[in-house]
Amino acid sequence: MTDDVMRFFAAWMLTHETADEGLKAAVERGEAGGAEGMSGGPDAFVDGLAAMVAEEKERLKAELEARARGELPPPDEKRDPVLDEIRFEVGELRGRLDNLESMLESILARLEARP
Amino acid sequence: MSRQSRIALTLAKRWLATLPAARFGLASGPRRRAAFARGTRRAFEELGPAFVKLGQLISVRPDEFSDELVAEMRSMQDAVPPLPYERIAEVVRAEFGRDPDELWDAFEREPVASASVAQVHRARLREAYRPVWGAELAAGTDLAVKIVRPKAAEAIRADVGVARRLAERAVRWGLARRFDPVGLLDEFEASVDRELDLRQEGRFADRFAFDFRDDARIEVPRIVWPRSARRVLTMEYMTGWRLTEIDAAAAEGVDCYGLAVHGATAFMRQVFVYGRYHADLHPANLFVTPRNTIAYLDFGIVGYLTPEERMNITQVMAALVYRDADRALRYSAKLGVDVPAEKVDVIRAGLGALLDGTERPDGTRDFRHFGLGFLRLLGEHGIAIPSGYGLLIKSLATVEGVARALYPQIDIVATAQPFTTRVLAQAMGDPARLAERLPAAVRAALRELVV
Repeated sequence: MTDDVMRFFAAWMLTHETADEGLKAAVERGEAGGAEGMSGGPDAFVDGLAAMVAEEKERLKAELEARARGELPPPDEKRDPVLDEIRFEVGELRGRLDNLESMLESILARLEARP
Repeated sequence: MSRQSRIALTLAKRWLATLPAARFGLASGPRRRAAFARGTRRAFEELGPAFVKLGQLISVRPDEFSDELVAEMRSMQDAVPPLPYERIAEVVRAEFGRDPDELWDAFEREPVASASVAQVHRARLREAYRPVWGAELAAGTDLAVKIVRPKAAEAIRADVGVARRLAERAVRWGLARRFDPVGLLDEFEASVDRELDLRQEGRFADRFAFDFRDDARIEVPRIVWPRSARRVLTMEYMTGWRLTEIDAAAAEGVDCYGLAVHGATAFMRQVFVYGRYHADLHPANLFVTPRNTIAYLDFGIVGYLTPEERMNITQVMAALVYRDADRALRYSAKLGVDVPAEKVDVIRAGLGALLDGTERPDGTRDFRHFGLGFLRLLGEHGIAIPSGYGLLIKSLATVEGVARALYPQIDIVATAQPFTTRVLAQAMGDPARLAERLPAAVRAALRELVV
């Protein structure tokens, strides 16, 4: 879900392996992490993000290599979240109908029990 | 004696009993407040369901009440003697027109848990059922049947009416300056109404199971809808270790550190990604299972955030992670924390000190110190705290407590770092945000090129 933008940055970083010194320094600072590694403030977020994008780049690289070797399925075989959402809505509707049916049965049972 | 007199008398009796512990008002502030809080908690326990629920509401509102009262209310015992089977069977008959034995197999007469509002009985599923989400429940599956005690709703509503009259009197006499008791009772009434309709809890459990469908380490009981009604909720019976039995779980090979990190991340996902979260996390509502999973129970109190609130909360969390006081202040303002211009500098300085002081002696960082410290800082300067903001900060602090119960050395701030960074990175790709920010970014780029 949050992977798309990270993947975009990672892909950019992968195709720009010779990134500028500023970016490399940001990745290093971000990798050092924590209070010691980052100075704090708005720049720290950029450092942290740069380090995570660098990690994502390594994952992307490994995934592409694995896919080239035929060890991973193509990316379009993942479950579609929109279809999942529809499946859930249908399931929820079924649950409500089950509940309603049981309520109607209980009303009927009460009416039948009347003298 | 009328109920109103009984309430007033019980409170007065319990408060008077605290006088020796408070050295008749001469003890130090914290000691005096602790004694008063203890007396209030005991009175609430004695006064029954409405007051037990009110105490639970107070326990999640550190923005309105003293630390001592919040801590005391958290320790409130919500265990009452169980009602006999016949009284519970009456509720089942009123809801379904049938006896428990006709609806479930092996419905146990003795409850497994008994609280002021509801009690839980074990039973077995009569016929296989396909739940809203997840695998089918086979016939014979162990179930937990939660049943609201007879007349609980009426008793709570009557007590709220009485409490309202007392609260209005307290306001008139100027006895409640620090918080608005009538507003609190309104909030309380709405939350109790939601909690007394167990179908709402069931629906949230279904949604929660769906939200975490890709996470094999999170378990949620599946709901059996044909056997559920306003006052009866039938769900899968979950087994495992409570957080108070964590040593036994570790001895059985459960990965407590992994589950602590995973549990904290799962909570952040509820808040920062979905904007709906379990707002009543305490050791009794969580199990660690032999399958190395976390089972969530009891979805009676739930928090909701709008997409905008969700993003602003994520920014405040990122401010903590990256020690950025300006970011914390800017996005807290968007959440309704209105700092007057003349107080901005002092609040920013206090916030900076809090952000720098989150480190614990063991080197891990502490959210609780920051979150509750920030609420206190705002309170000290008379700045109003929106109720949702207070509840959320308290929930995050609770999650940290729960994660630390699983693994005391967990660094919740370090756990939050990758999560909040990812969520904010994803927000950068949001077309609406891009449209809003792109002109400024282009101007900055042009400035850089021209210089």
